[in-house]
Amino acid sequence: MSRYIATRAIRGANALVREAELMLKRALAEKGGAQKVAFPNTAYYLPLIYGMTGVAVEKLEDLVPVIEHAKRLLHPVPSEKMWTPYLGETLDSGMATLLAAETIEAIRFVYGLQPERMPGFTLAGGTAYPELDSPNNGRVGHLNGPIDDIQLRSWGIQLVDGRMPGFAAIVGAAKSNEVAVKIVRELQKRNILCFLSGNVNGRSIIHQLIEEGVELGYDTYTVPFGTDTISAIYALGFATRSALTFGGLKAGQAREILLYNRERVFAFVLALGEVDDLKYAAAAGAINFGFPVIADTVIPEILPTGVTKYEHVVSMPFNEIEGADDLERAERLVQKCIEVRGVKVKVAEVPVPVPYGSAFEGEVVRKNDMRVEFGGKHSRCFEYLYMAPNDEVVDGKVEVIGPTFDHIEPQGHMDMGIIVKVAGRQMQEDFEPVLERQIHYFINGASGIQHIGQRDIAWIRISNNAAEKGFKLEHFGKILHARYHSDFGAIVDKVQVTIITEPELLQQWLAKARAAYDYRNRRLADLTDEKVEEFYSCTLCQSFAPNHVCVISPERLGLCGAYNWLDCKASYNINPTGPNQPIKLGKVIDPVKGYWTGTNEYAKIGSHGVVQEVSMYSIMENPMTACGCFECIVMLIPEANGVMVVSREDPSMTPAGMTFSTLAGIAGGGLQTPGVMGVGKYFLLSPKFISADGGFKRVVWMSSILKEMMAEELKKVAEREGDPDLIDKIADERHVTTVDELLVWLEEHQHPVLSMEPMF
Amino acid sequence: MPVEVPKEKWPGSVRTITLGALPAEGGTRKRVVTVGGETAMPFMHFEGEIPYPPVVAIEIKDRKPDDWSPLLLETWRDVIDDPAQWAAAAEEAGADLIVLALSLTNRDGNPTTPEEAVASVKAVLAATGVPLIVFGPGQAEADNALLVAVSEATKGERLALGICEDKNYRTIVATAMANGHLVTARTPMDVNLAKQLNILISDMGLPLDRILMDPTTGALGYGIEYGFSVMERLRLAALQGDKMTQLPMIVTPGFEAWKAKESKVGEGVPKAWGDWLNRAINWETLTAMTLVESGADIVVLRHPESVRRVKAAIDELMAAKAFVS
Repeated sequence: MSRYIATRAIRGANALVREAELMLKRALAEKGGAQKVAFPNTAYYLPLIYGMTGVAVEKLEDLVPVIEHAKRLLHPVPSEKMWTPYLGETLDSGMATLLAAETIEAIRFVYGLQPERMPGFTLAGGTAYPELDSPNNGRVGHLNGPIDDIQLRSWGIQLVDGRMPGFAAIVGAAKSNEVAVKIVRELQKRNILCFLSGNVNGRSIIHQLIEEGVELGYDTYTVPFGTDTISAIYALGFATRSALTFGGLKAGQAREILLYNRERVFAFVLALGEVDDLKYAAAAGAINFGFPVIADTVIPEILPTGVTKYEHVVSMPFNEIEGADDLERAERLVQKCIEVRGVKVKVAEVPVPVPYGSAFEGEVVRKNDMRVEFGGKHSRCFEYLYMAPNDEVVDGKVEVIGPTFDHIEPQGHMDMGIIVKVAGRQMQEDFEPVLERQIHYFINGASGIQHIGQRDIAWIRISNNAAEKGFKLEHFGKILHARYHSDFGAIVDKVQVTIITEPELLQQWLAKARAAYDYRNRRLADLTDEKVEEFYSCTLCQSFAPNHVCVISPERLGLCGAYNWLDCKASYNINPTGPNQPIKLGKVIDPVKGYWTGTNEYAKIGSHGVVQEVSMYSIMENPMTACGCFECIVMLIPEANGVMVVSREDPSMTPAGMTFSTLAGIAGGGLQTPGVMGVGKYFLLSPKFISADGGFKRVVWMSSILKEMMAEELKKVAEREGDPDLIDKIADERHVTTVDELLVWLEEHQHPVLSMEPMF
Repeated sequence: MPVEVPKEKWPGSVRTITLGALPAEGGTRKRVVTVGGETAMPFMHFEGEIPYPPVVAIEIKDRKPDDWSPLLLETWRDVIDDPAQWAAAAEEAGADLIVLALSLTNRDGNPTTPEEAVASVKAVLAATGVPLIVFGPGQAEADNALLVAVSEATKGERLALGICEDKNYRTIVATAMANGHLVTARTPMDVNLAKQLNILISDMGLPLDRILMDPTTGALGYGIEYGFSVMERLRLAALQGDKMTQLPMIVTPGFEAWKAKESKVGEGVPKAWGDWLNRAINWETLTAMTLVESGADIVVLRHPESVRRVKAAIDELMAAKAFVS
């Protein structure tokens, strides 16, 4: 907390509370305690006071305890010498300021000083003031004052259901009229409500916008409250009422109302121009609601987070903002506000000149229909996604560096690199590969575009049809920007895409990408069960295997092969109520068989009591259940003292006397059958594969298709197990389909199980 | 030798939810309906409490429906183009609740306006004394436009507004929160999806005792066993103590059964199928009873004779309570 801000906010609060008290005294003397006090068309009395203190103010005298309460919240200005914590004091002062400000506005209503008069001005929709608006009285021009309940409901629903991301309380005056217009337009473009108030040396953003002919009122989502700072209180009255109306909260539940706003109302204060004591005090009030303050002048910042979700006070001196002109600076300023409050951008449609949708994902572009290809036999194509600090990513920017494919002959090829730079508050390095893999699905969604592979073996084709319709390289970037926002908005705030075809630069980036791939491979290899504190559940399949739960650890991926630990972690971050939930491991019960208190507890809950315990590393004792989506079935062959592994793609007879489809009936359905287990094929390579029962050396028979598909990887496993020829010692369906044949084979090949302990 | 009957003891219970509000509570209903509160599987009176019997709602439309079976059009002939009269007739026929399903278009074929929807709802409220459930036409945009208007115009009535689905629930929930109504949450026959939607809705701040869940079902012969299992599992989870599944269930067997060929088609079917009307009513009744046995708290029906039969069956099942000491 900046002592400077604390000092000024506390000073401002003291002054305003004093002013309110004097005004109230005078009003009580002049009008009497029974004088009615109300804001127009609201059932919430003076809403902020009502919400924060529970006092339903109806008469002037009801305000006396409110001011007393505000006075108790005041603190002395921090001394020059003493260094004490003052966040609490500042926040209290902020709250006192708000109570005082609402009191002042209420008294002004009594005296007919609110809504503020503005001769000649007409609102484009606003709170109704029959007396002022009546033609009989010559239609007195005025600003809006507080928002009425009807509008609160209409906007409130949109704020709650997400159609409207939030509101901006703009206080002060912009550098110039055109900047004022630009700021408001940028906010309107994003459906963000603008509440206008305050001034700098008498000039308010309201004057600026009126001079530029901008329509202000409910209809244009820009509400002019008043030209002084005090009128900004109406924004917080609005926020309080939305919590009371939509949060099911009761008057007086101050803490809950503030938390509701912090969590659900994406609002922020944009302070334009010089910030005086009163503005500091009001800003401290807004921070209570979790609304950060962004100033376009030099002020001390409060960057640590806490009361607000992200930074509390951010200074962005207007003239120092990067940008070609003031308009671009204004745009950046708004962008910054949105980041600081964490308002999410939504892209409704994927802006490409061809049809787009998941229906086109499986589409094949044949050579004859092809305009151009990247990657494949004749050229190189790679994809690389990485995260960068927030201020290094320009959201929505798509850049093509190097030649386009215009000069390439039909059915020709060229090199291309797709570089995606993302930033996000919730983004983690671990999500990079998860997000990068999505490029395949995203690009494939465009009609006439085919995408195969990933990383530096990506292979993309653009059809003649798509090229004729105007599909260009930049559209890859547009697709990715739109889809990352719509599908991964929870973890990605900004997406920038660079398409590189320029040969030299391409080589540089390819090298960087490869270094990253390599790093990620090592990270994956390094990510062992011992290094994490939580596994993840996967209940995606419970719709048809109601009691089955996959427990997914770094070294044991889901049995379907589609979800590994990192995928689950990302999925949980994107959809915290979804099918992948973290399982805190708790205490180790048995590190060899793989029992933890956490996994056992979860197994019970997730299986609805059917499974009591689950062992992560054994097939013989409480093996993990399976739904039916497993890539392989592992099954004990008692006579051989080992296990066989049957692939889903292998239709032949196995030594167990059953084919895969018959075995699937035993392995699936969420039942625990010792000796039988469904697994993802990559789990065979894991050091944790039935490690409690002897590990991979127990494999005596394996579908040949697995041996071929994973030849390289299996070779490494054999070396790891200290028996480089191990794979050749494992029988398959080409030679062995009965137990008797299997036993002969094992003898002939001197399989290591012969000398291993009995499995049970 | 005395035989010990094994009894299951459950730690959890279904939430108790009341629909409708009496004048003293800010509404206009003559009576309210309470459902839920079970501490045992359906009608297992010897294992726990079934404090409130399952109830029967009759579904009506805001105008003569375009796609209903001619048998139903005939049954409701005199009232079918007037929601108020229809609702009164439904109450007369024994409905504990009315479900008013708004149509996408009005009688002239134009989109139903919020004003028209409000008028229908108010007319139905004026004509009946039982609590009301209002379903939108089933298209997100129209649902939101119509239900928000209805919700605001009936503040305090404790209507149930539907249908909240995974893709469209936020607006309906927001307006229900602001106006003191309930919502129904529908998911396509899946325990986890049902649970997830309940979590999402309660995350928005709507208390759980204002959410009814609709796990969806199929008609007899059209997937009812799947629906049965899902509902049974939801109820088992609720009794085991899973908070997010402890909501009373509403299902629409009327809608499902009257879609089935057996009730829809009267000609060109085997003679052995017997009398058309009787068959259709049997279909609806059996579908509904199966679901009542799997834990449904509210079944929404269309034919008055089915309503009579289902209510009679529920009465008998509840009467068994008297034999439990």
